[in-house]
Amino acid sequence: MNNFEIWLVIIGLTLVTILMRSSFLMLGDYFPLPERVQHGLRYAPVCALIALVTPELFLAQGSFDVSITNPKLIAGVAAAVITLTTRSMIAAMAVGMLIFTALRFLLPASL
Amino acid sequence: MRPRSLRTRPPWGHALSLGRPGAHRLRREGFVLGVRTVAPLLIGTGIWGLVTGVAMVKVGLSTAQALGMTLLVFSGTVQLASLPLIAADAPLWVVMLTAAVVNLRFLIFSAGLHPFFRRYSVGRRWLLSYFMVDMSFAMFLSRFADAPHDERGTTEQVWFFLGMSAGSWLVWQTMSIVGIVLAAEVPAQWGLEFTAILALIAMTLPLIAGRPALIGAVTAGVIAVIAAGLPLKLGLLVAVVAGIAAAMSTEILLERHAGKTGGTT
Repeated sequence: MNNFEIWLVIIGLTLVTILMRSSFLMLGDYFPLPERVQHGLRYAPVCALIALVTPELFLAQGSFDVSITNPKLIAGVAAAVITLTTRSMIAAMAVGMLIFTALRFLLPASL
Repeated sequence: MRPRSLRTRPPWGHALSLGRPGAHRLRREGFVLGVRTVAPLLIGTGIWGLVTGVAMVKVGLSTAQALGMTLLVFSGTVQLASLPLIAADAPLWVVMLTAAVVNLRFLIFSAGLHPFFRRYSVGRRWLLSYFMVDMSFAMFLSRFADAPHDERGTTEQVWFFLGMSAGSWLVWQTMSIVGIVLAAEVPAQWGLEFTAILALIAMTLPLIAGRPALIGAVTAGVIAVIAAGLPLKLGLLVAVVAGIAAAMSTEILLERHAGKTGGTT
């Protein structure tokens, strides 16, 4: 892509993104959602966040990997345990990152 | 956990001002609470921003283009999804379509926030839209989803959202620009982007309250793994829809069960 085309892409991405973000904020009054759906949306945050996490933990190079040699899974589970026991986000991230880095060095084959 | 900030009007509101009771203080209180709520998550945001900044330059964007992209688009997912397509010289409509699909979750976010922001002017709603990111949506709705209808869209709630947005925006943009400037010095194999995932774990688990939410989360998590192979990041959307459906079904089943046994669960 040349300079002009890349700027065109950037402008296009800007428009698509802001239109999607503003969709219901702008038009929600004209397209009222059923009460049930509106109510169900309260579960959207947790579902979206969990759905971002699990593929990162359970898939290694695109294939299902539940084993001790999957550094992301081990580190992620450790971070989850720390979160549930201490409620400290910083501790969870620090321990998770330590385990992740240590395992990557100890298990070079898994990379 | 109903936060005290939910009150439309604090008790000292009337005492401190004659006109609109404590509007300035409500704004400041909401904003500060928003910044505080988002603060621990900003480590992940910063590293993710840094990674995105580096990625834009590595794909071949000029400094001006990379700056333009991060300031205008302000969406890590869209930026990272479009970069390989830009590198591959894909047609414009393919890049746009990909961005639209990756962005489908914003429809859900937008619908969820609509009851809170509907009373604001068109200009302000554009501004709030620009700041809509996964984290601020999640933290906002998990805090205020139970607010009664007449307590939605209070000054404090909107400024809470703005506080989270300001924190996220500032850290994301700063770190993205650092990434753009230092792109040549940052090796790809640091694995730093994993901190963003760890931050998501630490942030999400405490939000899972009640059986419907738990069932929904497990469903979404499993479906996300199974459907990860779908093109255009569609797996994420399928997982979210399935998770919501599972949570709502659980809710209905529990209601029915409670009705049958006459219990008050």
